[in-house]
Amino acid sequence: MAVNLKRNSGEDSDGGKTSRRRMLGWLTGAGLFGSAGLSAVSNFVFIRPRATYGQPQRFSVGKPEDYPSGTRAILAARGICIVRDGARLAAISITCTHLGCTVGAADTGFACPCHGSRFDQDGNVTGGPAPRPLPWFQITLAPNGEIEVDKDIEVTPGSYLTL
Amino acid sequence: MSPATPPKSSFLAALMGLPRNVWHSIFRNPLPSNDLERSSTSFTNFFLHIHPVKVHKNSLRPTYTFGLGLISFFLFVILIVTGILLMFYYVPSTTQAYDRMLDLRGSVAFGTLLRNMHRWSAHGMVAMVFLHLCRVFLTGSYKKPREFNWVVGVILFLLTLFMSFTGYLLPWDQLAFWAITVGTAIAGYAPIVGKDIQFLLMGGTSVGQEALLRFYVLHVAVLPAILTLMIAIHFWRIRKDGGLSRPEDADPKITLEPMESAGAPKASVLEPKKVYGFQGLVRGPLTKVGQVPDNTVFSWPNLFLAELFTFVVTLSAILILSLLFNAPLEEPVNALHPPNPAKAPWYFLGLQEMVSYSAFWGGIGVPTIFVLLLLGAPYLDRGPKGVGKWFSRDRLLANTIFITFVVANIIFVIIGTFFRGANWAFVSPW
Repeated sequence: MAVNLKRNSGEDSDGGKTSRRRMLGWLTGAGLFGSAGLSAVSNFVFIRPRATYGQPQRFSVGKPEDYPSGTRAILAARGICIVRDGARLAAISITCTHLGCTVGAADTGFACPCHGSRFDQDGNVTGGPAPRPLPWFQITLAPNGEIEVDKDIEVTPGSYLTL
Repeated sequence: MSPATPPKSSFLAALMGLPRNVWHSIFRNPLPSNDLERSSTSFTNFFLHIHPVKVHKNSLRPTYTFGLGLISFFLFVILIVTGILLMFYYVPSTTQAYDRMLDLRGSVAFGTLLRNMHRWSAHGMVAMVFLHLCRVFLTGSYKKPREFNWVVGVILFLLTLFMSFTGYLLPWDQLAFWAITVGTAIAGYAPIVGKDIQFLLMGGTSVGQEALLRFYVLHVAVLPAILTLMIAIHFWRIRKDGGLSRPEDADPKITLEPMESAGAPKASVLEPKKVYGFQGLVRGPLTKVGQVPDNTVFSWPNLFLAELFTFVVTLSAILILSLLFNAPLEEPVNALHPPNPAKAPWYFLGLQEMVSYSAFWGGIGVPTIFVLLLLGAPYLDRGPKGVGKWFSRDRLLANTIFITFVVANIIFVIIGTFFRGANWAFVSPW
């Protein structure tokens, strides 16, 4: 109350004591709230994992001979479908672009059991809420003759690996 | 100074009086038989002083509140007790969680009953909190001075949903896994921060051990703590806002003029210290004691008996439900094959139905708009009329908008529950 009265009675009538006190008040407040804010941020840094324990994104799926022409093999554990068409190979994601459910094979391509998205053989959306076609992943032939899929690298749908 | 050894007779008397004295040191009031004792019973007891000594008759009308808020709170209490007991046997590990569920069913005494009670109370709490929200809206109780308590209430509703959502993953069955896969993916659609929230929630790029541990910590520590604090604020503000809302004509008008024959009202009448009235009506302009007809009754026994009755009914209902119906437990998690159709719990099915049209609008856009409208309601609808009455004519517009939203959501829930089959295709339940 007393401080208020002084403030009202004019600026620095007490020789700058009020403004010094206000300044110190501001600094104290800034220090306290700044520390609280930094602590909050560091908490978020803490709960954001640096290393995750998931599967590797780049893996081998066997030899081309395992997939005769015309095969559409769903490797559910890897989240991909290996498509072999003559001498051409491709890896299509089977993780629904809508909300991450695993799509299953259907007569016309793929269908999602969660919210009814449907895709054709190449992963293009033919119905349902899915916003994007199923991505295709980079597929290469490793020196040891095995097929290697890298889920970190998406390729344009329709780009096959020709053996 | 007292003598080193008191006379035998007085020591014996103290010994004889020991039980009685201990009892009276704990319970300082006899069972009340007059108004003074009734007042001091609820005033001096830690647990009872949550209520004012006297409450307005309107607050006790069962058809005004239907006890919905109280039932929600009692369900929360049941959830805490059963939840702590379940924690003794639960392990948040992808390899053990499901087996622990089976153990609860097979080898833990009362395990099935406790899990059932926890599950049905959780469903009940979501329903009751929502109905309570409807009651408060339809009686116009969010209006001044209760605007912020309404905001706290909306936050409590969201926390209840989040509580239920995090608990959903813990059994680690098929339903759990896919509901959380979908739920976290919805969070991923939020603009800018979506992917980060999704990553933080799951502790990785897919639902696995890290996600289970995170949801467990949120479910048993973080959210209950926040919820408890918010409930305390919610209750505190009810008192500070003058008790439950009631129609304007429930309180007689206080006029200043005829107070005393001698001239203008004294300044002392308006002093703030007078505001702390006998009834705990902090907001009232004047103390009302002795000036107006009293529309209040003593909390003891009227309010406390009504609350005890509500508690007994709530607990009995949960017990009966838990004895009759077992909480579902699906197959253990198979990350490769989602069940078809993969359905969320009933109260999220409206959301899931909307999400099946558009992930962003159904999962983020529309719910955000709805929540913002709810939060903003008391600040947008400033008309003072229609408080304390169900479906007041003065609130026709606000109530109509609200009921439209509620009915739309109920329709979505019904479609999602009964009309959706494999691949979320439209099926007829008949």
